[in-house]
Amino acid sequence: MPIHDQSYRHYGGQREPLGRAWLVIVGDGVRTIMRKRAFIGLLLFAWLPFVVRAVQVYLAANYPQMSMLALKADTYREDLEKQGFFVFFITIWVGAGLIANDRRANALQIYLSKPLARAEYIAGKLGILMVFQIMVTWVPSMLLLLLQTLFAGSFDFVSKNLFIIPAITIFSFVQVLAASFTMLALSSLSKSSRFVAILYAGIVFFTQALYGIVYGVTRDSSFSWISFLANLEEVGRLVFRAKMHYDTPWAVSLLAILAIVGVSIVVLERRVRGVEVVK
Amino acid sequence: MAHDRAEAAVETGAGAQLAGTAGAGATSAGGQGAPAPAGPRTTSFGVASLRVLDLSLGQMLWSRRTVFLALVVGAPVALAVLFRVLDAMGLGVTRVGSRTVSGSTVFGLFIWLLYVRFIVPVLGVFYGTSLIADEVEDRTITYLFTRPIPRGAVLAGKYLAYLVATAFVVLPSVMLVYFLMVPASALAATFPSLVTDLALLAIGLAAYGAVFAWIGAQLKYPLLIGLVFAFGWEQAVMLVPGYLRRFTVAYYLQGLVPHAMPQDSTLSFLQSVLRDVPPTLTCLVALAVITAGFLFLAAKTVERREYVLEQ
Amino acid sequence: MSAPPEPNGSRAAVGPVLPGAADGEAEPALSGATVAAGPSAETSPPPEAAGALVASDHLSKWYGQVIGLNDVSVVVPHGITGLLGPNGAGKSTFMKLMTGQLKPSKGTVQVLGEPVWNNPAVFARLGFCPEQDAFYDRMTGREWVTALVRLNGYSEGQAAEAARRALETVDLLDAADRKIGGYSKGMRQRVKLAQALAHDPELLVLDEPLGGMDPIARRKTIRLVREWARQGRSVIVSSHILHEIESMTQNILLINNGRILAEGNVHQIRELIDEHPHTVQILAENPRALARQFLAFDDLLSLKFEEDAVVAQTARPDAFYRRLTELAASGEAGEVREVTSPDDNLQAVFQYLVK
Repeated sequence: MPIHDQSYRHYGGQREPLGRAWLVIVGDGVRTIMRKRAFIGLLLFAWLPFVVRAVQVYLAANYPQMSMLALKADTYREDLEKQGFFVFFITIWVGAGLIANDRRANALQIYLSKPLARAEYIAGKLGILMVFQIMVTWVPSMLLLLLQTLFAGSFDFVSKNLFIIPAITIFSFVQVLAASFTMLALSSLSKSSRFVAILYAGIVFFTQALYGIVYGVTRDSSFSWISFLANLEEVGRLVFRAKMHYDTPWAVSLLAILAIVGVSIVVLERRVRGVEVVK
Repeated sequence: MAHDRAEAAVETGAGAQLAGTAGAGATSAGGQGAPAPAGPRTTSFGVASLRVLDLSLGQMLWSRRTVFLALVVGAPVALAVLFRVLDAMGLGVTRVGSRTVSGSTVFGLFIWLLYVRFIVPVLGVFYGTSLIADEVEDRTITYLFTRPIPRGAVLAGKYLAYLVATAFVVLPSVMLVYFLMVPASALAATFPSLVTDLALLAIGLAAYGAVFAWIGAQLKYPLLIGLVFAFGWEQAVMLVPGYLRRFTVAYYLQGLVPHAMPQDSTLSFLQSVLRDVPPTLTCLVALAVITAGFLFLAAKTVERREYVLEQ
Repeated sequence: MSAPPEPNGSRAAVGPVLPGAADGEAEPALSGATVAAGPSAETSPPPEAAGALVASDHLSKWYGQVIGLNDVSVVVPHGITGLLGPNGAGKSTFMKLMTGQLKPSKGTVQVLGEPVWNNPAVFARLGFCPEQDAFYDRMTGREWVTALVRLNGYSEGQAAEAARRALETVDLLDAADRKIGGYSKGMRQRVKLAQALAHDPELLVLDEPLGGMDPIARRKTIRLVREWARQGRSVIVSSHILHEIESMTQNILLINNGRILAEGNVHQIRELIDEHPHTVQILAENPRALARQFLAFDDLLSLKFEEDAVVAQTARPDAFYRRLTELAASGEAGEVREVTSPDDNLQAVFQYLVK
């Protein structure tokens, strides 16, 4: 009679259906990032503008002499634009190593040897980044809108600006999607998260600087599609029904953003593989 | 196994003496018998730095970063070529209606908007923060730290390699843009400002590199801190009149730029309005002090710090 | 109980190295040395350490809450010394401390009579071959070794010659002008060895030098280490595989959980391990029936009953396990459900040794 080692037993518990593995990646990634106190500090710092606005809303609602502090629809657009600063740093902090670190540790093969599709892997990684980006864009904006409604005691503001909820949502998600896909695609190109971070910073600032030169030479702002940030700004103005800043047609700005997202998806499709076939 | 061990005495630096006992083998496996020539016990700081520079320069130039560097310095050249081609085709990008933007002005824009405000700080952040960190990440730092050279010399050598590599790539790019944008008739008159531009960019690379070398050696998350410093703090503080702007590299570097400051955006406009330009000598001295000071601090930090490599 | 090393390098009886040894035994001489007030304080080395290759005094290293090395006081004499211990035992930590990669959290370590932390001068006499597989892949073997040797103060010509000799010594001359990125694992290990010995150091510290090598490369490296020592130099080599160390040297330092468990001649340690009574716990259907069978074994030292299990102590574990397997297969004494050995580890051996 053979003697069996009884230290291992097959798992007899419940298994989740296939297709939900990406949620595990998101959950694990978010928990890992949240362990860093410095990052929590950054998140809290990113919410400071919300706190300032919340005080402003309170004062405007409760003190008639301070009614000029009341928020307008365009204020939400401006705030979302300014939050782009935090989105930039969160994207670099969280996103640079998302795939780069896995490539460095040769973990892609391990991930993709599980019942996990490539799309799920990418969705999981995107999810990690988007959770934090939404935390500093959509969530504070919606919360501020809620506070404004609560302090005012009526839905007047919302009913007069019916577009505001979809506008906040669309602008936030355009920012988030553009930044996430770009960063994830760059992260899949390298094994060094530091290199990825600087590449991303390069794209953001370099395109801005290039546009600056072109504008300085031509005095024509219809070249603003060159700048990543300018495109996001134009889309924001579009959804908030604000006056456009640049002469570039909004469709061109939107197309530029979609092109970046499209290229990122193509890069991700090519780079996220369990094995690399060298011909 | 005591019988296997010969009683050879080894003198420091003198090279090994061969085992005298029979069968012990006068030669090492596959090798010749004569000992390797000896070197001095330690190398001076300067010589050690130069040798580390030698070792690191190739690594720095011929790496994935070359792609990044090429894109960064190639883009202005490509843009300048495009402007010239469009102008030559009569599409007149530099002539809008009755207004003509001179080649020198365009070149000045390049210097301000691309080189001084973007390329130099970004290269400083990228290379400066990773002088030692790259070697730690690649786990090759052990080979450098187990040599009879001060650790500070390793940092100094890597810093020199960064300076040579970036200057070697950036300065020719500036010259190319200059020759593309500035018309031949104005070359003689504007050549001194080209020389000034080249010098100030080299000084900028040196100063930013030193600051970020210290940030990389001392602080956690140096890349993020570096980006916040270069594109957050420096930009914001230049808008605030007063002494705060003295705590930037940009204040002194921008004081040396011979071209007019552009007003391409609200930020630039505000900065130009609030600008105060310190005397050239002050700028040069300040930048020298910043460079030397931060490099010294970085070297001291590297000497004190312990690097635990990931397994 | 620790015997001082004999001049020719072989040692007498093995003894544990632990502060506060049991039964009032005399503590090892080193523990009487003054412990530095802080890691950076200077201490004079104990007398036994004079002329020693490596001398550590209450050396400890911790990473946050994790102790890498725990109060190690040891004197490593000249010759080849093997540092043996399982993965995670503290071998690499000890090597990194003795090569100045890490700073002691407590205590001191001296190499060739000099403190090593922040003392680059000692590296003129020390060569280190680290464990990690990391190189400048774009350089050729020759370029890389030459560049590193130049940092030892050699002129360009001298460095090239030293590199050539070193590459020849490790049998890599043919591939010297190929990029390291194209080397096999064994070649990479050898080029690492070449950079460690190119400047002809008095002491070579090799951290798992045989890892990933094929058998032929392994033999060559072992032969190289022995030749190197035969020429009068010293080597400290680490491994978790006993027979690898045995093929290079008889002198070992046995390390586990950050402590030195034993130091001395490997044969004597092995005999002591073999003599150590092994405890085996067997979970069975009918423990008493099993125990009756065990009583017939002549190597059985004691029996004890626990719930559904019988715990036996045996002097000859190999023979005991063979007979147990036969019993279980025949089913004579009922079903055998589980067999474990609660003390089958070096710590238990050590505890036995100090009793």
